[in-house]
Amino acid sequence: MVVAPPASYCPHHPVLMTPDSLPGIGEIVSFTTLHTPPAGFKSPLHLAIVELDGGARFVCHGSDVKGLKVGAAVAIEAIDNIYYFSNLGTLDRARLFWRRAGRAGDRVNAIARSLAKRMWKGKHRAAS
Amino acid sequence: MPDVFVAGVGMTRVGRRSEPLPDLMADAAHAALAEAGLEVPDAIVVATMNPEEFIGDGNFASNVATQMGFADVPTLRVETATSSGAAAFYAGFAQVAAGLRHTVLVVGGEKMTHLTTPRVSELIGRSIDPYERAYGATMPALAGLVTRALMTRGAANAREIAQVAVKNHANAARNPLAHFQDAVTVEQVLESRMVADPLRLLHCCPISDGAAAVVVSAEPARVRVAGIGHGTDTLAMRHRRELTSFGATRMAAREAYGMARFGPERIDVAEVHDAFTPFELISLEDLGLVPPGKAGRATLDGETALDGRLPINPSGGLKARGHPLAATGLAQIVECVWQLTGRAHGRQVAGARRALAHSIGGLATNNWVTLLEARG
Repeated sequence: MVVAPPASYCPHHPVLMTPDSLPGIGEIVSFTTLHTPPAGFKSPLHLAIVELDGGARFVCHGSDVKGLKVGAAVAIEAIDNIYYFSNLGTLDRARLFWRRAGRAGDRVNAIARSLAKRMWKGKHRAAS
Repeated sequence: MPDVFVAGVGMTRVGRRSEPLPDLMADAAHAALAEAGLEVPDAIVVATMNPEEFIGDGNFASNVATQMGFADVPTLRVETATSSGAAAFYAGFAQVAAGLRHTVLVVGGEKMTHLTTPRVSELIGRSIDPYERAYGATMPALAGLVTRALMTRGAANAREIAQVAVKNHANAARNPLAHFQDAVTVEQVLESRMVADPLRLLHCCPISDGAAAVVVSAEPARVRVAGIGHGTDTLAMRHRRELTSFGATRMAAREAYGMARFGPERIDVAEVHDAFTPFELISLEDLGLVPPGKAGRATLDGETALDGRLPINPSGGLKARGHPLAATGLAQIVECVWQLTGRAHGRQVAGARRALAHSIGGLATNNWVTLLEARG
């Protein structure tokens, strides 16, 4: 099991966990908007559970949920230790596809590198 | 294992109450003891979720025992978040089943309506994983995530989820102890204020005060405890693979049916944890009371209504009887006992012989299933 943030023990087994890292790309498991959030949060508060491609699930904030659907491809990144999700557009997904397929010319490589760099931020998690 | 029986039950009216919590709990306890014909129980189990913060009092087992006039009776307190009442019932059951005590008084209660809604929401939210709470997650927020996933999966639609509220309000209108005494329509539910998309205000249970009590005994009585099951899951929602079914309920149900040696097909009436109305649909399937994927349809078709095949939440449920946290698990058992002994006036399920009570602690991290059977 991969958990975030790092935990001493796997939630289901008394085994110690070790650090790991994953690319910050995944999909929306579910999302909601809180219209009267707790003190210290601005309304409306968009919250989502995002599952990364490596299996870890994150709770994230988002700036917008307009048009968002369960299963949508998103990137997550941490700003001041808080994870945010952002919808990956068609172009972003195409770039990712080309990068994964390994069919990349110089230009695509450059784009993929910049995207990957953006998404590898905040790779702050542990795996069992 | 020796049989354990329910010798007496009692509860207060649920709603906005001005009395101090120990007084509410004493009222419920003395009613249960009077019914059991018992002056002093051998032991007491107290259930309160968070009196330290709701009312500023701790050491609550001794607090309640003393204020009820039982300072000399051994008393302990049990807490499993919103299922504390059911957990306390288990603790009482276990003491009798083990032969440690002959009679145990189990009493639960909570008082919250004197606080503002944001404050209550914050305090109930203490039962959420701290990391998720740091993102602003509240109980309605997590329930909103569950509901969105449920609807996306096609397992329930807006009308079915609203119908649970309509049904439970209609039942509560027949229960003089219920918080809400008024009916609501599907339209009213669907037009109520959005709380955590797609959850609206009338999908959510109210903030209530109240207390409930049960006397368990080794002495044969009209209702026997047929089985109890306990199920648990991760504190964090993000550590679960599945949002639209509660593993803790399935685990508890398996254990309870196993102990009772009968299955869900024998249940005549059930009290199910509907703090948010989609939870009733999820739980009906987790408990095996309806086939997978059929809870919404069964609800729309009236199968779970008071005059249906399997009446669910005849008391009005958490949704409309109200949800005084640690009282709730016991209030469910009180309703089941009234149903099994023909005393649920105005909402009696004809010929009910076996009843099920299902209580969820936190966001389904610590759940209980209790099975009760009428004797004779």
